[in-house]
Amino acid sequence: MSQFQELLASVRSALGQSRPGPAAAESSRTVPVAAAARRAELCSRFVRELEAVGGRALPVASPAEAAAEIARLAEKAGARRAALGRGVTIDLAPAAEALARRGIAIVSAGPVTAPDRREVREQLAQCEIAVAEARYAVAPSGTLLVVAGASSPRSLTLLPPLSVIVVQVDHILPDLASALRALGPAALAEHQVSLITGPSRTADIEKMIVLGVHGPKELYAIVLWPKTG
Amino acid sequence: MADRQAAAEFLKASARGVADLDQRGKLERASRRHLEHLAETAAEFPRYEEERELARRLKADAIGRLDQLLAELRRKLEGRGGKVFFAADAAEARRYIVALARAKTAKLIVKGKSMTTEEIELNPALEQAGCEVVETDLGEYIVQLRHERPSHIITPAIHLSKEDIGELFKEKLAAPYSAEPEALTAIARARLREKFLRADLGIIGVNFAIAETATLVLVENEGNGRMSSSLPETLVAVMGIEKVMARLDDLSHFLEILARTATGQKLTTYTNFVSGPRRPDELDGPQELHLVLLDNGRSRMLADPVLREALSCLRCGACLNVCPVYRRIGGHAYGSPYPGPIGSIVSPPLFGDDAAGHLPFASTLCGACKDICPVKIDIPRILLHLRWKASEGAQPVRWPRRLQRVRSAAERFARMARHPLTMRLLARAGSWALRPFARGGYLRWMPPPLSNWTVVRDFPLPRRPPRAADSRPPKS
Repeated sequence: MSQFQELLASVRSALGQSRPGPAAAESSRTVPVAAAARRAELCSRFVRELEAVGGRALPVASPAEAAAEIARLAEKAGARRAALGRGVTIDLAPAAEALARRGIAIVSAGPVTAPDRREVREQLAQCEIAVAEARYAVAPSGTLLVVAGASSPRSLTLLPPLSVIVVQVDHILPDLASALRALGPAALAEHQVSLITGPSRTADIEKMIVLGVHGPKELYAIVLWPKTG
Repeated sequence: MADRQAAAEFLKASARGVADLDQRGKLERASRRHLEHLAETAAEFPRYEEERELARRLKADAIGRLDQLLAELRRKLEGRGGKVFFAADAAEARRYIVALARAKTAKLIVKGKSMTTEEIELNPALEQAGCEVVETDLGEYIVQLRHERPSHIITPAIHLSKEDIGELFKEKLAAPYSAEPEALTAIARARLREKFLRADLGIIGVNFAIAETATLVLVENEGNGRMSSSLPETLVAVMGIEKVMARLDDLSHFLEILARTATGQKLTTYTNFVSGPRRPDELDGPQELHLVLLDNGRSRMLADPVLREALSCLRCGACLNVCPVYRRIGGHAYGSPYPGPIGSIVSPPLFGDDAAGHLPFASTLCGACKDICPVKIDIPRILLHLRWKASEGAQPVRWPRRLQRVRSAAERFARMARHPLTMRLLARAGSWALRPFARGGYLRWMPPPLSNWTVVRDFPLPRRPPRAADSRPPKS
């Protein structure tokens, strides 16, 4: 009998007769769609909560405007190198162009092959700013749900000290359960996923809050809110 | 029965803790802040009570079919290329991880914050094997530099001041002295960043595992868990078998309450999901993922119908902050990686009665822990259960001869106290007799041995007992 079978046997015998009935009832909440009427409310809640945990939010009306904001942030931070992922729901190419026009070197976090892994990572660690995309956001906690993949590694939202994450206004959801449900079990199993709520922080020294421990010290969420007719 | 020596050491350590007024002040302040956070939470998150109840039910349900969930978790994780090892006890877990570190010729190991690896005393074993093991949670890093144990589940360095830490960094890291948390954090960030980028092996704990998707969930604020699980080529996750839940849908209920009770946040800064090794075209994430499932006494807890409830613990640390005993003696006095009320119920089954059998007696049973527990674990009931188990079959106490008189006096008093009328008369007589000695309703002095009380605090004058008629509830 393998060790694991032994574990299961010991757990089974420990459970003995006192096994409860079938699983608790399915929770009945369904995924609420961010209806147009609720957009403004959810967006302003998201902004408020993100700012309460030390992040900043910038609403923009178009990808071009987003690119301009990103370039402005990079310049303000005195960045010389910027890391960019590729978006799935949002096109980050205009941002790359805007940064390049200002003479900022772009480190593209594209798919890698084994030999250059360490090198790309070192380059990422050298960047002062990184731009990534969030699939969803959670309004009542100011949380961004980021899905990592070949073109958007986890290091992107972790190593550079200034993190810029773009999210679509329609993807701001009213609670955490909705965001996890919108992501779904299949995507969770396939990808490395992170929930990010504000810049990296600690309260380990006399319970005083300090931002920027291992991850970014500054976090900007750019909310893409296209003007519709 | 508890080992006498362990109990005696506990008493000595508690006396030291009680005498350390500086530490008591810190713990007292932390506790007050914690209760303030909770009051804010109640206002901000009206669903809190509902979510607590739901989380409690979900956890009890998951533990009720732990065998199925563990089998599912293992099957699915292995299906994606993860390796799953079951460790019956701490020694097996250590052996597996040390052998893995050797096989990978790992020189530098970075660790995210993990109580379970404290439980199995992993660091000394790895260091003996010649590895450099670096704790990367700021608080853990600080206590590691001091060669100490964490004194709190959530805030490991709660017993140290910023000046202590400034001196420590100056001495151990040759950094310029500063007592600014900002500057100290920057020093640690720079040191640890370099370790993260060079590390061969990462070790993390696990807060929850989702069987449905075979996902390991780790919550944290600093990014140490994300770094440790993203950068090194090999990742080891160590998890107690009780952490598994059925479905992704269950998770939000736990996340909604965990950070709120642990730190007063709505969510921690990072919630990391690890569902397997990285895919070939990904930049980061480990090439190899090993999950160590640790029993180490947990199936013993499962077999005990009262103790089983303790497996629901989320390790939020809230019960420590509200415990009047913890707040006075401090975390180190418990001599266990899990201090405080929750530690007193999980330590005996995890570490054995010889090491921890005395801990269930270190409680006043005030019940604050049960009230604050996010999954409402009835800690006082389990403490009583463990006390009962510890004294099962023990000889009744033999009184020394010279105390026989005290004992029979106590018995006589007990007989009288059973009759309300006698009690009332006695109280009235007492209140009348003491009145001339009292000032402002209090006695400032009493003769020995009663002076043991009055040297510390004033003794309130017994009140005149109410008439029987007054104490009846008013008719509605």
